[in-house]
Amino acid sequence: MAKGNEKKHRKSVSYAKWAYIFITPFFISYILFTLIPQFLTVYNSFFENYRNGLEQVGPNFVGLGNYIKLLTPDSSGTIDFLRYLGNSLAMWIAGAVPQFLIALLLAVLFTSSRLNLKGQGIAKTIIYMPNLIMASAFSMLVFSLFSNVGPVNKFLIDAGILKEYYNFFATKISVRTIIACMNFIMWFGNTTIVLMAGIMGIDQSLFESANLDGANSLHVFFDITLPLLMPILSYALITSMIGGIQMFDVPQVISNGKGTPNMTSTTVIMMLNNYLGISKNYGMSGALSVMLFIITGILGMLVYRSLARQYKD
Amino acid sequence: MKNTNKKARFLLIISRILAYGFVIFLCFLCLFCFLLLILMASKSNSQMQGAFNFRWGGHFMENLYNAWNDFSINIPVGMVNSFIVAMSSAIITTYFSALTAYGIHVYNFKLKNVVFTFIMAIMMIPSQVSAVGFIQLAYKFGLTNKLWLLIIPSVAAPVVFFYMKQYLESVLPIEMVEAARIDGSNEFRIFNEIVLPIMKPAVAVQMIFSFVSSWNNYFMPALLLTKEKYKTVPIMIANLRSADYSKFDQGKVFMFILLAILPVMIVYTILSKSIIKGVTSGSVKG
Amino acid sequence: MKKLLSILLVLLMVLSLSACGQKEEPAAPAEEGEGKVFHIYAWNEEFKGFFEKYYKVPEGIEVVWTIVPNEGTQYQDALDLALMNQESAAADEKVDMFLAEADYILKYTNSDYTQDIKALGVTNFANTYPYTVEAASDASGVVKGVSFQCCPAGMIYRRSIAEDVLGTSDPDEVQAAVADWAKFDEVAAKCAEKGYLMTSSYAEDYRVFSNNTSSPWVDADNNLQIDPAIQTWMDQAEAYVKNGYTLTSGVWDAETTEQAAKDGKAFCFFGPAWYYNFCMGPAFGADAVAAGTDSVGDWGLCDGPQAFFWGGTWLLAATGSDNPTMLADVMDKFINDEEVCTNLIKNEAQFTNNQAVNNKFAEDPEFGNPYLGGQNDTAVFAEGAKNIKFQNQTIYDQGCNESLQTYFVEYLQGNVTKEEALNNFYKALHEKYPAIKVPEA
Repeated sequence: MAKGNEKKHRKSVSYAKWAYIFITPFFISYILFTLIPQFLTVYNSFFENYRNGLEQVGPNFVGLGNYIKLLTPDSSGTIDFLRYLGNSLAMWIAGAVPQFLIALLLAVLFTSSRLNLKGQGIAKTIIYMPNLIMASAFSMLVFSLFSNVGPVNKFLIDAGILKEYYNFFATKISVRTIIACMNFIMWFGNTTIVLMAGIMGIDQSLFESANLDGANSLHVFFDITLPLLMPILSYALITSMIGGIQMFDVPQVISNGKGTPNMTSTTVIMMLNNYLGISKNYGMSGALSVMLFIITGILGMLVYRSLARQYKD
Repeated sequence: MKNTNKKARFLLIISRILAYGFVIFLCFLCLFCFLLLILMASKSNSQMQGAFNFRWGGHFMENLYNAWNDFSINIPVGMVNSFIVAMSSAIITTYFSALTAYGIHVYNFKLKNVVFTFIMAIMMIPSQVSAVGFIQLAYKFGLTNKLWLLIIPSVAAPVVFFYMKQYLESVLPIEMVEAARIDGSNEFRIFNEIVLPIMKPAVAVQMIFSFVSSWNNYFMPALLLTKEKYKTVPIMIANLRSADYSKFDQGKVFMFILLAILPVMIVYTILSKSIIKGVTSGSVKG
Repeated sequence: MKKLLSILLVLLMVLSLSACGQKEEPAAPAEEGEGKVFHIYAWNEEFKGFFEKYYKVPEGIEVVWTIVPNEGTQYQDALDLALMNQESAAADEKVDMFLAEADYILKYTNSDYTQDIKALGVTNFANTYPYTVEAASDASGVVKGVSFQCCPAGMIYRRSIAEDVLGTSDPDEVQAAVADWAKFDEVAAKCAEKGYLMTSSYAEDYRVFSNNTSSPWVDADNNLQIDPAIQTWMDQAEAYVKNGYTLTSGVWDAETTEQAAKDGKAFCFFGPAWYYNFCMGPAFGADAVAAGTDSVGDWGLCDGPQAFFWGGTWLLAATGSDNPTMLADVMDKFINDEEVCTNLIKNEAQFTNNQAVNNKFAEDPEFGNPYLGGQNDTAVFAEGAKNIKFQNQTIYDQGCNESLQTYFVEYLQGNVTKEEALNNFYKALHEKYPAIKVPEA
């Protein structure tokens, strides 16, 4: 670290080596613990490779066979992989829309110096709590709430709204609504915190001068807060989308691992889980993951691009 | 003038009432989930085999006693192991992600865009997939029952990196870094002493998140940690769940789930304070 | 240096709160050609408890347990990895014995990862129940392990309902009334007339059928086949739901177990001793008793239409074990040692795999179960266990049985057509077991 050397070249180019130094640990760790296993996954996707009991089948090279299998429609013309992806996305969107709207509103309320809300510490702790409960435990709680003999049905019957119990877990719309609501409750606190930290990072003097100019709250929000929050908001949206595509725990427990009714709550990761379960089907699960990676990548880039453009305008 | 003032005041009060109402409603919703958990933890196993109701089970202390004294699990050991793993991963992951994000954000170098796009791309790969290969390799090299194997990989956390990068984009004025350079600070010191404090809210947020996700992580640790003294909390909960029929006690399971939340709440409370502090100190303007 | 290290190690072991004696460093080389560490894989602590209480470990041998919870397929995953690395593992790391359930035991007995226990010296099977030996044998009849417990099951019926519907609550007479499935149907119709349910889950008697199939789930060419017995079950479930004889909730759902409480309407349940002793909370739980909503004593036990079993734990001998003598001794003690088996029944409420010991309790007039109004359930099971068969098993049974129940009930609930239900079943199977050939997938 020759100090003199550093002083001589103050142009940004001379700092390039620092960039490499700073990002090296990340990449070493990534290559060792993630890339190599991931490479195995991609490699596996071109092979027939699974276990039948304890007997290993393959690896036999099948080229794109696994991908073709994954994308071949069944007798009724549906491609299960795409259908499950659709399920994941539908349930994600149903939960994410209220999640983001409410989180955004809360973040603004909490950070508003004009409103100056009291008891924020407690509120922020409470709204984050559902995220702390293990998803599987939370699902078990909700399951007993809505079961045929559970309190929700009992209440609806006692109140005269229903004649006999309603099986919440046997209809597509109610199962999906329950799952979306659970995702919402579990994640809106998390998003609120992310957005709040983002708003708090914004230069406070901008708000002060806006207030002096007499701008109303809506103006401040759309002209200052939102554009400056865009990087963080796009982070939150993209990670939420990735989380949505990788949705697993909640539908798994709610449907007892079966994706009922009629496979409408089966998510892609539940499919992956079936492949990886007892038969360790590295071939099919590899192909599925590569497909999932491609799709998530495209969607992620689309969201990122469109938000980034909006933010630059 | 006085009139408009009054009107503004009135509006403020109204919006305050609305805001409080809204926040209280949401808090109630969340508390409800938590109260349900406490309620479950008060029920005995046989009560839970029947229909669920909102009556207090009356077995809270009994479940607590049973969970604490269960001979197959050792709650303090599990908590310590979980804490070591979760805390170290949280620190490591936030520090190195911030470092990487800073490296990519402030410097211009040839591979900048390539590197950024690359990390964004790997963020999209489902984690379940590399986990499988990871475990195979871990077994091959005999690396089971090593806590560090659950900690070190968190150096590379694309999601945390992405957040840090986005945060820097919205808060870090590049001039500040340049000013520090003129003062003769070396790059590491600039990062540690100037940039990191600015990022305090972001660091706190991500520390909470990674602590929680590591604390609740089950899949990998369950396959890697098979010895009693290394087991983490989620494995112990799974242990309780897989107890044989004569000892299976759902009340104990829910009690342990409840207990497992407490340390996370403490960490959360401490860290969430620094989110606020980071801002009130107004360090952004330098 | 070595001394210091060993002192440190001892300290560490004392300090470590887990009291199960984990091995840290390899001990001195094994003497007499056998290992010093006996390594057991299990998914819970049940057997560990019995082992520590009733088995005297030979001096100089340390027992190490690896317990991986059975969530998902975690236990099998960890076990498989260990078995596959068995050859290259250090002597003290080698698996000596592991536990397995009926659902997947075939996967291990039919592999080279388990060894012939007769060659190890376990030869006395005179007192064991034949099905437990069948279950632990491979395709050519080589015995690879033993079961230390036996889970014969029967029909648990509600005495008050039996009295009302059949005019008797005597186990023998009730048994005569449900001796086969046709008679069972007649009783179901009578129950419905009186406003009762025959069972409270469409799948309550599934295991009775699936235990008595005439063909395996998968034929020699890996084609999925639905056995006539399973077909009968599907028809029965469909008819029962249609006629209101049963409910569409699963065996473990609260809705089903609630029907065992005081004002429950179900005539019968199907299961082994553990089922009613531990899993019928609303009927027998202390809280239900305290609240007066229990049905203790209102139950009786008989064989039901067909003999079957449910559950049980087998001890299997791992190939490559370096403790063959102790391995054989453990297995022998848990099936043949009178003292061990007596303790298991008396102190642990087990039904052992030793007919002589079980029969002693079966003949004891003092021995009875208060839940069943004092009826001696061991006597019922001791008879029933002889007729149980372990046959037509495949390594896919667990997945087939579970998936069929979950996807078929959607048809019973009226959400999908029968074809759709079966298609979903096929799809789920194909995802889980790529080797199975299912119709049009």
